[in-house]
Amino acid sequence: MSDAAALGVENVVAGYGGAPVLDGVSIAVRPATITAVLGANGAGKTTLLRAITGLVRPRAGRITVDGVNLARRRPEAVARAGVAHVPEGQGVITELTVEENLRLGGLLRFGGARRAAALAETYRRFGILAERRHRAAGTLSGGERQILVIARALMASPRVLLLDEPSLGLAPKIVAQVMDLVRQLRDDSGLTVLLVEQNARSALSIADQGIVLNVGKIVAESPAAELLVDVGLRRHYLGF
Amino acid sequence: MQEFLEFTLGGIAFGMIYAAIGLSLVLIWRGTRILNYAQGGMAMFTTYVALIVINHTGNYWEGFGVALAAGLVLGAVLERTVIRPVENKPPLNAVIVTIGVLIFLEGLAGIIYGGQFRSFPPAFSVVGLKIGGTALGVSRADLFTGGAVLAAALLLAVLFRATSVGLRLRATAFAPNVARLLGVRIGRVLTLGWALAGLIGALAGVLVTPATFLYPNSMDSIFVLGFTAAVIGGLESPVGAVAGGLILGVVLSYAGGYLGSDLVSLFGLAVLAVVLMVRPSGLFSTTATRQV
Repeated sequence: MSDAAALGVENVVAGYGGAPVLDGVSIAVRPATITAVLGANGAGKTTLLRAITGLVRPRAGRITVDGVNLARRRPEAVARAGVAHVPEGQGVITELTVEENLRLGGLLRFGGARRAAALAETYRRFGILAERRHRAAGTLSGGERQILVIARALMASPRVLLLDEPSLGLAPKIVAQVMDLVRQLRDDSGLTVLLVEQNARSALSIADQGIVLNVGKIVAESPAAELLVDVGLRRHYLGF
Repeated sequence: MQEFLEFTLGGIAFGMIYAAIGLSLVLIWRGTRILNYAQGGMAMFTTYVALIVINHTGNYWEGFGVALAAGLVLGAVLERTVIRPVENKPPLNAVIVTIGVLIFLEGLAGIIYGGQFRSFPPAFSVVGLKIGGTALGVSRADLFTGGAVLAAALLLAVLFRATSVGLRLRATAFAPNVARLLGVRIGRVLTLGWALAGLIGALAGVLVTPATFLYPNSMDSIFVLGFTAAVIGGLESPVGAVAGGLILGVVLSYAGGYLGSDLVSLFGLAVLAVVLMVRPSGLFSTTATRQV
């Protein structure tokens, strides 16, 4: 699909006025890997993703994709640099149809022919979206919406994918399907993924690397398999 | 029966003007959640520009074209300069700014062109048309007005539904932060929205001014009625603005014709009050009420 890219977060400080929510966070995501960012509510996981894409301006630090610093750029520019962000709450534009949501995602591709090809490929891959293409996106179920926003993000052929709590509000079976999709994106398309999740068990099941955030700082960082067996850490920070 | 026909068709002709102003207001409201109190002032100003060109060249259509272009430019410039800083601030800021722009434009027009009433040529003949012996109460100019506004509304509809630009406009209006994450340059999109609103307002200005004469405040009452049309339609719906304009135009035409022209403003207010009481979100809206 696209060249795998490395995502770097270097000493990022970010917040919403007053004390920073992220207090000097550094993460290195290797190309074509999934890194899970875990932690309790309020730990700063969502703020991390928003700082990467520029919805929140970092007060300090660098955000790099293949070495290029994106920290001072607006969200539109970060998206154009190949970073796709599927926000918390999915971000389905409910007033538009499924197809219009997808076409919106494809606007970053140059030329009508490439956009049409991307749309055809999306429908081939996600039959459920093809079936619902002309329906208002607001009529989709939770799981279908999650597939829609991921497919929409993929329309632009991103190099890095940021996912914010994709399992939120979904039944366990659907969560498993979504996680399976993300795993496939890494395996088949070589996508670099940063996955923020409260559902730590699901996230770690597909991740290569796991990072635990607590009150704006990283408190643990290791291969996902090790985090899964570190019972003490799990109980303390991840709740299982 | 003759009177009824005249009032109805005349009402539709004027209603199309209210529809055009309503359309511009809806365009800006949907895109930026700002009510553009300067819309009438912008239309007045571009009509003055048209008059200068027409007097210089003797060619109506050149003036018409320049007015539309001036509307585009004025809308874009206003958005980039004075509106952009208040787009994400509390609504009151935008209210004050747009009223300020209105006062500025009216004052500027007065300084440059003076306050006297000027006549403005219509596009076509204003002689009433007849079918057989029956007077219709509309002229070629009125037919052109109706046709032009309808064409503008249709072109807008096509733009919104069938083009990438329209998709960006709608996405920016519905979910600006999601649109940004998808790479949409919402700044440019918002500028375009204001430019289009300026264009439609300019169209309304040149179409209605033959009847009202041109002076710095000439678009004030038209603006109020255009705003009423937009509210009747629901502020969210372009179709609603057009329908609201037609309903308002016809109702006011009957009121003025059968009851006396001094009651027209009162009736405008009455229609607004009734709609806000019975269906506050507008006749065509599907969402709950919002503050204005």
